[in-house]
Amino acid sequence: MTPEEVQTAVAAGAVVLDMRPPKPFATEHIPGAVNFQFNRADLADRAEMALPTDVQYVIHAEPAPIAKVAVEIMTKAGFRVLGWLEGGLKQWKEAGFPTAELGLMTVDELHADLDQHRVVDTREGFEYSYGHIPGSQSIVWTEPWSTLEAVEDNPPLAIVCGDQVRSCYVASVMRRAGKDARLVFGGMVDWLERGFPVQKTAKETA
Amino acid sequence: MIFKQFRYEPLAQASYLVGCPRAKEAMIVDPIDNLGSDFYVLEAADLGLTIVGVVETHIHADFVSCARELAEMNGVPHHLHESAKALVRYPFTAFRDGESFTMGGVRLTALHTPGHTPEHTAFLVTDTARSPDPWFVLTGDALFVGDVGRPDLLLGDESMDVMDESARAETLYRSVTEKLFTLPDYVEVYPGHYGGSTCGGVNMSGKAVSTIAFEKQFNLALRQPDARAFAAFVRETAKPFPQNYERIKSYNLGMITKEELKGATV
Amino acid sequence: MPDVQETKILDARGLLCPMPIVKAAKEIKSLGDGDVLKILATDRGAIADFPAWADDTGNELLEWHEEGDGTLVFYVRKVEED
Repeated sequence: MTPEEVQTAVAAGAVVLDMRPPKPFATEHIPGAVNFQFNRADLADRAEMALPTDVQYVIHAEPAPIAKVAVEIMTKAGFRVLGWLEGGLKQWKEAGFPTAELGLMTVDELHADLDQHRVVDTREGFEYSYGHIPGSQSIVWTEPWSTLEAVEDNPPLAIVCGDQVRSCYVASVMRRAGKDARLVFGGMVDWLERGFPVQKTAKETA
Repeated sequence: MIFKQFRYEPLAQASYLVGCPRAKEAMIVDPIDNLGSDFYVLEAADLGLTIVGVVETHIHADFVSCARELAEMNGVPHHLHESAKALVRYPFTAFRDGESFTMGGVRLTALHTPGHTPEHTAFLVTDTARSPDPWFVLTGDALFVGDVGRPDLLLGDESMDVMDESARAETLYRSVTEKLFTLPDYVEVYPGHYGGSTCGGVNMSGKAVSTIAFEKQFNLALRQPDARAFAAFVRETAKPFPQNYERIKSYNLGMITKEELKGATV
Repeated sequence: MPDVQETKILDARGLLCPMPIVKAAKEIKSLGDGDVLKILATDRGAIADFPAWADDTGNELLEWHEEGDGTLVFYVRKVEED
């Protein structure tokens, strides 16, 4: 699809699914795009767990061979895919369309400014129970978009997961809804590595 | 560090992906067209890595390289040793001996090791997350497991006036003994080819990994007492020339197009 | 390297979080009490995920380490609930 065709599809309600890794996504992406990282082994499984089936998608992945395979996998998994953006972000910008960015922060920055953020932990419930950033709130990444979009963003949201695959997806959905959400790069793996404090949820005894 | 060796069995060729799981970046070393650019792109994407550069140890004569295409597809530099300027007919990013490429905690350092070809460079790899000292070396066609690269694939090197096979073999001997064999013994060796390839002699092992210590001790070519004996040994143990090598090298040098190359392939 | 012999190997390389755990949870069901599941993974998130998963399910994470090529290796002993 050309940038113009993508733009028309988006205006009609289609969602751009940006399948690049979180870092390039955060740096620059098509406004309103949802980040969902590509891989061949389990893209379909993850998509089925999280993505709504009642919208149409346009794939943005770079370079082209990834986009082609992504369209194939997503279509086979039953999603309605209109096509993929040819020429990627470069072509998009050359056509004069704007881009957006997603705020990134390191665990050090989050640790220093913890009281000025609402931390959302997007991992599975049991991971959160085992150990999470003190004061963080659990919202599992597979929750419907309506739930993710309803989260209060004052103070600004800091989104974490194990690394940044699930968190970047959630942060992008929130950003799409106009929320002030930032991605915590390196996630809980970095947080634990620094020796920053974690909180456990007491196990319920049967 | 993320490290993958890709073997293309019909040509006994090894290409590599070296990357950093933190920086989510990777470089591809010596990509082969038989696997194709799409292959490397998808392998990197599967690991969540962005390709930030394509590196070649040298201009190959026995297989069609897809380095140019892969670099262009990803919008990243194609790195070759600076001396390749005198050889190739397309733009690339030149590096010097000793220069490093860094991806997060992973570092590739260029060791110019001429002989097989004038621009040939090995890459010493360090994972600073594990140790400040080097871990392994991508030896390209300078040093194989049990053998060395042949010095007689001369096409394209006229401009550099290094056409004498024996002189080239002696250069190779110095490259290996002075630059590679002075690395710590434990450093692992990952070659550009393994047994079955025509880029080396008859003593090449089918095993595509070794160590500096093992090769110092058991590599027959390098057990020769001096550079001259080495040159004679390499000549005597050479294999037939790689099939179609002149046309393949012409393509890799940018002297003919892919269409012209395909027209020539049987 | 732990002093244990795995009963089964799960190759979860190339899978992104949380799929290595999802697959491990499925795989360990087929094992008996005391059996050891060895899991190979490449996604860095697994480092935080597996201890949590083991704790949650009552299975025992015996050891984990990173191989030279970046593969993460986990050994989990199945503990049957009473």
